[in-house]
Amino acid sequence: MKLEMFHLCPYRDLPADFREKNRSVWVDPPTSLFDAEIANRTYNETLDELKYGAEMGYDGICVNEHHQNAYGLMPSPNLMASVMARESKDVAIIVMGNSIALYDPPIRVAEEFAMLDCISGGRLVAGFPVGSAMDTAFGYGSNPSQLREKYAEAEELILRAWEEDEVFSFDGKYTQLRYVNIWPRPMQNPRPPIWVPGAGSIETWNTCVDKGHLYAYLSYSGYKRGKTVMDGFWKVANAAGIDNPYHAGFLQLVCIADSEQELQDKYAAHTEYFFNKMLHIYPGFADPPGYRTIDTIKAGLMSQTTSFGRAGTNEQTFDELREAGNVVAGTPKQVTEQLEHVIKDLRIGHLMLLNQFGSIPHELAKENIRRTAQEVVPNLRHIWSEYEDHWWPQNAVVREATTT
Amino acid sequence: MNERSVSVRNGEFQVDVLEGGSGDPLLFLHGVSGLEWTPFLQKLSANHTVIAPRTPGFGESTGTESLHDIHDLVYFYLDLLDELGLDKLPLVGHSLGGMFAAELAAIQPNRFTSVALASPFGLWDDANPIGDLFAISLGELAAAMYADASSPEAVAIATAPQARMTEVDPDTEEGQATIYYLVERAKSMSTAAKYLWPIPNRGLSKRLHRVTQPSIVIWGESDGIIPPVYAEQFGAKMSSSSVNKIPNAAHMVIEEQPDQVVDIIEALITG
Repeated sequence: MKLEMFHLCPYRDLPADFREKNRSVWVDPPTSLFDAEIANRTYNETLDELKYGAEMGYDGICVNEHHQNAYGLMPSPNLMASVMARESKDVAIIVMGNSIALYDPPIRVAEEFAMLDCISGGRLVAGFPVGSAMDTAFGYGSNPSQLREKYAEAEELILRAWEEDEVFSFDGKYTQLRYVNIWPRPMQNPRPPIWVPGAGSIETWNTCVDKGHLYAYLSYSGYKRGKTVMDGFWKVANAAGIDNPYHAGFLQLVCIADSEQELQDKYAAHTEYFFNKMLHIYPGFADPPGYRTIDTIKAGLMSQTTSFGRAGTNEQTFDELREAGNVVAGTPKQVTEQLEHVIKDLRIGHLMLLNQFGSIPHELAKENIRRTAQEVVPNLRHIWSEYEDHWWPQNAVVREATTT
Repeated sequence: MNERSVSVRNGEFQVDVLEGGSGDPLLFLHGVSGLEWTPFLQKLSANHTVIAPRTPGFGESTGTESLHDIHDLVYFYLDLLDELGLDKLPLVGHSLGGMFAAELAAIQPNRFTSVALASPFGLWDDANPIGDLFAISLGELAAAMYADASSPEAVAIATAPQARMTEVDPDTEEGQATIYYLVERAKSMSTAAKYLWPIPNRGLSKRLHRVTQPSIVIWGESDGIIPPVYAEQFGAKMSSSSVNKIPNAAHMVIEEQPDQVVDIIEALITG
């Protein structure tokens, strides 16, 4: 079992009345609310927290890409990963990832990931998200109905750029290149492992099964609702004869304290800030035409972003969010037990944990990171030891399973 | 009215074509909300044989995957018109179909004897942005499409299955009905998005001067999708054009005020 620390790099200082006065935290939050002094602090504290997570014993650190989004200040996760490639020594650098359909030409992603792999000494995980509707269709103006086709073409181009031994030409519908020949090439041979952050669409399950990419369900709705999606993935995977849990990953919010009172005092307000303010998203941005494929609609499935739109209706309390599984909160022992259940129930070999979320301040984030990494993570690593992880960077650390 | 399926390019496209009325043929191209034989078309067919193809991607018309951009779309329509043997006839287009009509009239001005554009897409003016019909709520959409928000058509839009925000159980009858609605909406709107996303400007302003035949521009005064100031912008670029703004009408002007609109079109055609 691998456990990685995920960071969203959220803007922690939205005004108290943000939800009442604005329609969306994503795409069109008021420009006037952005303060570069706050961003300066946010980026540096985020980098410190990622480094701290690596030092405290996580197996990897994860960053991701969002655009025009106050809860995710990393339009270029590669910049953060570049710092961490230097600041960390052995952990996996998991970029979750680059929205490959948005880059023209997409070869840029092949180049930057190759740079990161070389700088980190072969510790990169290359994430290839299709990207949310807010990021792709509205933030970057990409036609939602052509997004998947562009994505497939970009993926083919990037993989060929990494894997082919000679200069080649690429005559695509969206990209035409006379000479494809990236310098540098990845250090991992032939390429970094590919993880696909998905949101529950059938096409993404099929892609991951067909191509052997890791499928990671990244949602904030927690393990209870995540069960439906992961069961859907495993149904497709099992039909193809795949049962290795390392083929799948999941994201979960976690907070640790020694008592119920301490949990409430330390984390309740920050958790509510995340779910009630940061996920306040205008429903009109959630489901543009063509974003969900016809097959996904026919199966009655929502995209992750559709559920974002719906989540905006009511404010939720910390207790409700714990009950629903959005956040796993408790003593180290309670959290370990709950996460062991999540890992086995969803059958995942990679669990990505958010220790800083919402408005959790730096010192509290560090405490949560340290306690999770030292008092929870080591007690879960033994799970799935009978399977081999084919989705781990060739030169990233594989830590021993120990119990505290 | 008859409905038939026409094969274009040896079956690459199968296109529904509605046809009704009597007299010389007239080509009608429908808008973003799709094609039905409405009172407007019924009235228009009194003096003309109205031929109304359904754009690939809408309803049962197939082949939208072969159409990548407006260029492909225009050549598809030229092939369809060849297949139907249509030449020297009046052209009427509404909304998205108005944009297509303008493109066709620009590329083959001699094919069409007159051009009527009702609330067409195709131009963009930074000072008067066109509404984001892909992101506005269904209530806002209804109010932008119809001047009378209490009309049955407006209410139907505003109260359409809100299921894009809910999980659907495909095993129930209600779930299947919702899925049918959502699939149709996804197909037609993602087709429209090929020509309108993210800004409905595919360079028509560089070609519109080629529309030199007798033409008119028709606009609902309350159009909440495309502001009526665009009427003059279209009119100014098409050399022999007159602009008609219709009160008590919005984007669906042809359905909201069919009598007035048909009278204006008849006057254009009869010269």
